[in-house]
Amino acid sequence: MADAEEAQVSEAQIAVHWREEEYYEPPASFVAQANAADPAIFERFSEERFPECFKEYADLLTWDAQWHTTLDTSKPPFWKWFVGGRLNACVNCVDRHLATSADKLALIWVPEPEDEVTKEISYQELYTRINEFAALLRDFCGVEVGDRVTFHLPMLPELPVSMLACARLGVIHSEVFGGFSGAACGERIADSESRILVTMDAYYRNGELIDHKAKADEALARARELGVEVDKVLVWRRHPGEYRSQSPMVDGRDFFVDELLEDHRDKTVEPVSMPAEAPLFLMYTSGTTGRPKGCQHSTGGYLAYVAGTSKYYQDIHPEDTYWCFADIGWITGHSYIVYGPLALGTTSVIYEGVPTYPDAGRPWRIAERLGANIFHTAPTTIRMLRKLGPDEPKKHDYRFKHMTTVGEPIEPDVWRWYHDVVGKGEAVIVDTWWQTENGGFLGSTLPALQPMKPGSCGPGVLGIYPVIYDEEGEVIEAGSGKAGNICIRNPWPGIFQTIWGQPERFVEIYYEKYCRDKQSTDWRDWPYFAGDGAVQAADGYFRILGRVDDVINVAGHRLGTKELESASITVEEIAEAAAVPVVDELRGRAVEMYVSLKPGLAPSPEIEQKVAKAIETEIGKIARPKNVWIVPDMPKTRSGKIMRRVIAGISNFTDVGDVSTLANPEIVDDIRHHVQSEKLARNEVPRELSPQEQEEIAAFGRDE
Amino acid sequence: MTLQYIAGELSLILGELEAAVPSRAARQVAGLRREAETAPFPALPGVAARALRLTDDACWASLTRGDAESFRREASISAELWSFSLCACLLDEPATAGGQVPGWADRPGL
Repeated sequence: MADAEEAQVSEAQIAVHWREEEYYEPPASFVAQANAADPAIFERFSEERFPECFKEYADLLTWDAQWHTTLDTSKPPFWKWFVGGRLNACVNCVDRHLATSADKLALIWVPEPEDEVTKEISYQELYTRINEFAALLRDFCGVEVGDRVTFHLPMLPELPVSMLACARLGVIHSEVFGGFSGAACGERIADSESRILVTMDAYYRNGELIDHKAKADEALARARELGVEVDKVLVWRRHPGEYRSQSPMVDGRDFFVDELLEDHRDKTVEPVSMPAEAPLFLMYTSGTTGRPKGCQHSTGGYLAYVAGTSKYYQDIHPEDTYWCFADIGWITGHSYIVYGPLALGTTSVIYEGVPTYPDAGRPWRIAERLGANIFHTAPTTIRMLRKLGPDEPKKHDYRFKHMTTVGEPIEPDVWRWYHDVVGKGEAVIVDTWWQTENGGFLGSTLPALQPMKPGSCGPGVLGIYPVIYDEEGEVIEAGSGKAGNICIRNPWPGIFQTIWGQPERFVEIYYEKYCRDKQSTDWRDWPYFAGDGAVQAADGYFRILGRVDDVINVAGHRLGTKELESASITVEEIAEAAAVPVVDELRGRAVEMYVSLKPGLAPSPEIEQKVAKAIETEIGKIARPKNVWIVPDMPKTRSGKIMRRVIAGISNFTDVGDVSTLANPEIVDDIRHHVQSEKLARNEVPRELSPQEQEEIAAFGRDE
Repeated sequence: MTLQYIAGELSLILGELEAAVPSRAARQVAGLRREAETAPFPALPGVAARALRLTDDACWASLTRGDAESFRREASISAELWSFSLCACLLDEPATAGGQVPGWADRPGL
């Protein structure tokens, strides 16, 4: 199986599946009106001016008290921004606009049913509604500063109303994506120790009214299992006066918000002046089977960062109609539907439903009707709209000046459709890279000053200094063609403060890998590990390659297990595939593939060769596996997940670890006998592994 | 990258599927939904593939029973799941629900 030839293909060809693209310049009409059109801005945010450069973002806000320390690094990596400053996020998003823009639309809510009336909510009305709900939370629910309230709400105006009401009170909100299960909601309720759940009876999705309140009962049951009892469930009603859930209201626990609000009409609540470092909200990330990770975001630093990036990277002006197509249940929605745009006093559009209901022309009809001129969505949505209605945008008379793509890498041909068809060749595109943990953009072109390049997010944004490290912590230079782990060398105001209740985990996941000196209070010794792979072109633009979890490093070449496995299953006979590393004296690590066959097929050397060939063809010679093992089944958990660490242990003749949670533990000995006896026969038994190597193999494929 | 929403959308579609299929299959779907909500992102293609196979089985079972309404509902969700999984690069075209585990051959840079 082994091929002793050196790799003929560069790492760039392995890591990057398309060539460097040409540049697209921003239209002159965009540049003429852009918020950031003067190149002097780069000097203002240069590293020499760090951290004071972020005063420019903080100055966009209204402060009750000025800060005395822009960045406190005394307890790394728990950075503190604008220390001594006090403010209220709700005041910044609503109150301060009333003097000049009370009648201006803050929110435009578009219901999914196309025949239902769009709701327009002025800043004045938003102020009224927020105050009423804040009064309800304070007086009826008894919430106090620092308490946590969990929302499990869909995309309706009640969600930003609820968020800003909490912000007004100094209460920490935690929104769970409306599409998540009750169990997921319950786990987040328990982790945050919320005593109040705010939900809705139902909402529309793909033309159907979804019973949402039913999940609240599941959530409370799950929270109870985990030791947290919810006192009150506040239920907003999708259709005023009508209850559309099959789940009965529980007396004394469940309350209709519209009924309670009768006692709080026209009440105002004095906004609580909060320290800049007070937590504003929690945003839980999925992707972990252990305790949920609640990213805790600050008030002053976060709000300054999203306001600043909204101004310069989204190019939001107060007179714009801005439409971010994300869900507020994700950080994109928190930052770029609610807090960022409203802090700038613009009009923000919220759409209830799916992009393609009732057809793929829906988004463009909405854009045309509302006069939306800034658009923001994800590549998955773009691909779907392109697939289902490639010519639909041409039928509608809207004009976007600016568009954003967010959430995942976008392939150049999709980018070009977005630019040429959706943007009509006129809109700038910012391809943004960032994460829940970051609060706002980390990588993007500055739209009026930096040309676009399809498939690349561009450089680090203002005040962000990225670097790519290899596994040993050495810098990978721009233009080298090599991929590595993208890190951010410096703190920034939008960075999350910690994982709620789990500070050790925060340090372990995000800082331990490349920290140079744990005793140091110099931020330069604490680069932030983003967990994404990336390559930097000679022009300084980054191309993000996705998560670095499950990577096998063969002779310095990073091979993703997903790529190896997906190449394997292009072979017709293969049902499942799993890639694991094996210690190799020549290359450091080599790949071994474990594959199972479709029913009715018998193992054969020909199939093994086909798999090896497929990997070589798809990825490159460097990726050719040392061995392909055909097994009757993979060791799996009860939920069907393949336990790679078990087969990695078998390949390396080390301990396979705990197999008690496997659905099919008996398969382990079968595979071990087959693989290890064959390796013995081929004289391929590896030497005894060092403790570090054993740890690496034992940890392979584990969850965070 | 903020890939959370792909996990979230997958969970949402699986929630619809759970409500649409008979109880035995619903328990399996619930397990897949749990996995979508908790597993690391690289596991999602496998979740999508298994969900499609499960939906395929449910559709066939409904047809066998002559239950047109269930079949219609399950097929509709299957179509949504397939379309979403393709567009989220969880599946490669032409992926089928008939047993082939999908791959990421077209996913840029991943």
